[in-house]
Amino acid sequence: MKVLTFGWDFPPHTTGGLGVACQGLTRELANEGVEVIFVLPKSQSVEGTSRFIFADIEHMVRTREITSSIAPYLGSQSVLDVYDEYGVRKLYQNTLLEEVHAFAHKASQIAKEETFDLIHAHDWTSYLAGVAAKLASGKPLILHVHATAFDQAASDNIDPGVFKIEKEAFDTADRIIAVSDFTKQIVVNKYNIDPSKVHVVHNGIDTKEPKHYEPTLQELRAQGKKLILYHGRITIQKGVDYFVQAAQKVVAHNPDVVFVISGKGDMVGQIMQQVGRLGLSQNVLFAGALWYEERDQMYQSVDLVVMPSVSEPFGLVPLEAIQHGTPSLISKQSGVAEVVTHVLKVDFWDVDEMANKILAALRYPVMHGQLVKEGKREVSKLPWSRAARKVVDIYKYLVEWIT
Amino acid sequence: MLTVCPYFHVHQPYRIKRYRVFDIGHDNEYFNDSSETDLNNRRIVEKVANKSYRPMNAVLLGLLEEHPEFRFALSFSGTVLDQFEAYAPDVLASFQEIVATGRVEILADTYHHSLAFFYSVPEFERQVAQHAKRIYELFGQTPRVFRNTELSYRNDLAKWCEDNGYLGIMAEGWDPILGWRSPNHVYHPPGCDKIKVLLKNYKLSDDVAFRFSNKAWESHPLSAETYSQWIHAHHGDGNTINLFMDYETFGEHQWEDTGIFNFIKALPELLMRHPDTTFKTPTETVESYDSVGEIDVPDVLTWADTDRDLTAWTGNDIQKDAIASIYAMEKDVIETEDMDLIEVWRKLQTSDHFYYMCTKWSEDGDVHAYFSPYESPYDAYVAFMNALSDLQLRVRHAVEKKQQHKGEKLKKPEKSVSFVQRLKQWFRWLVKKVLFLIHFRK
Repeated sequence: MKVLTFGWDFPPHTTGGLGVACQGLTRELANEGVEVIFVLPKSQSVEGTSRFIFADIEHMVRTREITSSIAPYLGSQSVLDVYDEYGVRKLYQNTLLEEVHAFAHKASQIAKEETFDLIHAHDWTSYLAGVAAKLASGKPLILHVHATAFDQAASDNIDPGVFKIEKEAFDTADRIIAVSDFTKQIVVNKYNIDPSKVHVVHNGIDTKEPKHYEPTLQELRAQGKKLILYHGRITIQKGVDYFVQAAQKVVAHNPDVVFVISGKGDMVGQIMQQVGRLGLSQNVLFAGALWYEERDQMYQSVDLVVMPSVSEPFGLVPLEAIQHGTPSLISKQSGVAEVVTHVLKVDFWDVDEMANKILAALRYPVMHGQLVKEGKREVSKLPWSRAARKVVDIYKYLVEWIT
Repeated sequence: MLTVCPYFHVHQPYRIKRYRVFDIGHDNEYFNDSSETDLNNRRIVEKVANKSYRPMNAVLLGLLEEHPEFRFALSFSGTVLDQFEAYAPDVLASFQEIVATGRVEILADTYHHSLAFFYSVPEFERQVAQHAKRIYELFGQTPRVFRNTELSYRNDLAKWCEDNGYLGIMAEGWDPILGWRSPNHVYHPPGCDKIKVLLKNYKLSDDVAFRFSNKAWESHPLSAETYSQWIHAHHGDGNTINLFMDYETFGEHQWEDTGIFNFIKALPELLMRHPDTTFKTPTETVESYDSVGEIDVPDVLTWADTDRDLTAWTGNDIQKDAIASIYAMEKDVIETEDMDLIEVWRKLQTSDHFYYMCTKWSEDGDVHAYFSPYESPYDAYVAFMNALSDLQLRVRHAVEKKQQHKGEKLKKPEKSVSFVQRLKQWFRWLVKKVLFLIHFRK
């Protein structure tokens, strides 16, 4: 079985969970005997392709690049703001929407040149490419929903350009894969899609014992401070403002708690102002966006990770954190909450309860220990191979019945 | 001759509200949730009263009136009796009416539905005494057959019961304990020559308690005719069919629309159509039959899930921590001699709190999820430990105050207090002490 897959980024050049998800799924699909042609837009550095970790099965994965530059977490009118491989900011005049259309145009050509059985498009930036490939080839189309405009907006005040693309693509697709039931409900209810067309395939995680680092923020620890981490984009979707509100309540009760915020995004200034206004400068640290070793070191050094998302289709952070031995407090408005039980859960808006659970996690070491022990065991039951097998079942069904 | 010996267990815990870390030291009320959730104890009692207690009591009273041979046993936790008194006094009155027929036996129990026997025998004894006192006051009976929380049982518990004059004790008729033997006989524990053990026939009990409304079950829907045939099939291979189940099976676990009330209404008559079938209370049962052999249970046996042990209450680390923390307070709490603090401490011993913290979801998670008012076992633990932390503070203050008081008292004689005054003081102290002891030991 040969699948023409459209995505927009791939590790290591990635700014979020999407690239990681594409990588894990693609590798395991290959293990299941699926031949994946992964199409990436040009601006995603070629350098990334040479660092695919599934090198042993590389012969089955080919990477095609096309001329396009796409940043997926932006609205349709956003002026592209990406960094080149030397860390220098590149400014483009064209909007993301234009890039999405350009990607679709190229996709149509590729679909005519290549032979394949199915089309699989990841995230909204690739949906039009998927639709174009379907029109050009007549092959069945699967859209993989990692997020929707409603998640990005954290409300109904959505980007109409993105919504239009999503709605048309969902209607055109033969099957839709949602990364959680949480997301499936949005697709069904907000886009009016037949629920039988939408399958839930929860993301997986690569479980292996991570490299251990010297703890960071040693000085704070030596002073007896407890550390709480937020790691993620700093946007309205992620609920960082609720995290800061909870921090205020925690600090009022226990001034020896320090909150670390790792990430960047369009709300950084607002969050910094909020921290200042609430008088929390001594208790909130802005670490910038931590990646790779720095991020892992931070995961290992803190007492608790908080994912306060307003609307989180899946949410990789708690799964990453537990692999580094740190438990999480996550919002109930997340897809990952459907697959993990050994975490603390809270409604993102319930900052009193968020503060209560942060304090409880610090106060009761037995619970902290059990969350780590049982959480690690639980996460080991969520490998990407499990997700890949579900995707293969959908592939098989489509090849058998639709083509 | 085949005996049918039913007993229904009536219990509601005092569920702990969402008690937060900030509340420690500021809020002394742990059980007064007033939300629209299942943490609201009044709301639950009112709901279950409507679905189960009121209609089922009417059914039972009707059956007792209709069939002079019909007999059974009830067991109550003190915590449910207290809540009936506060939230549904008519339910308590209807239970009194049922017991007044003279054909309903009440079993011995711990007042607070606790696992105290396995953590502190002195505390266990105080709770059993408190329960017996309450039962006598409300129903005029002194229990003679013991059943422990969650039907938990062990050889040494049986020995304790024998030493304290009980005629019988109940346990799960679990195959690994019985081997080839049948639960439908009366047994005795090792080292005991007076007390007898009644074993639950879990297959026939669970057909009603768990499987009655299960559409995937091959025998669904279960008719009273079929069920009475199953019981009659034991004529000749046993003396007694012990049907033990939660009272709330009727109307709450199995809803009215499953036909459970009609089932139970029809059953006594169908059972007694066989001339050699009779109903007996547990006391009558143990007095009617000799033990056929010894039943050896060195490790705790319960009626819960597939393990039949205490792992549903004490299986994981947070459960162990919570239960160890509550019993670690015993000495200090008792020392306060403050009845309110002691009562709150006991309400926190109710086994349900630990059950809500159970994390073995994957195996029998559905059962636990159904019975938990919390969204997660960790929510249950946090509420419990926060409330416990507050209680610890209160107990510490009370103990400190008492010690201070004692210190002052010791100093007083130096101020040349007259002998008569000292005698008066001593007498007052003595009266207080005696009243305290009476309260527990009666």
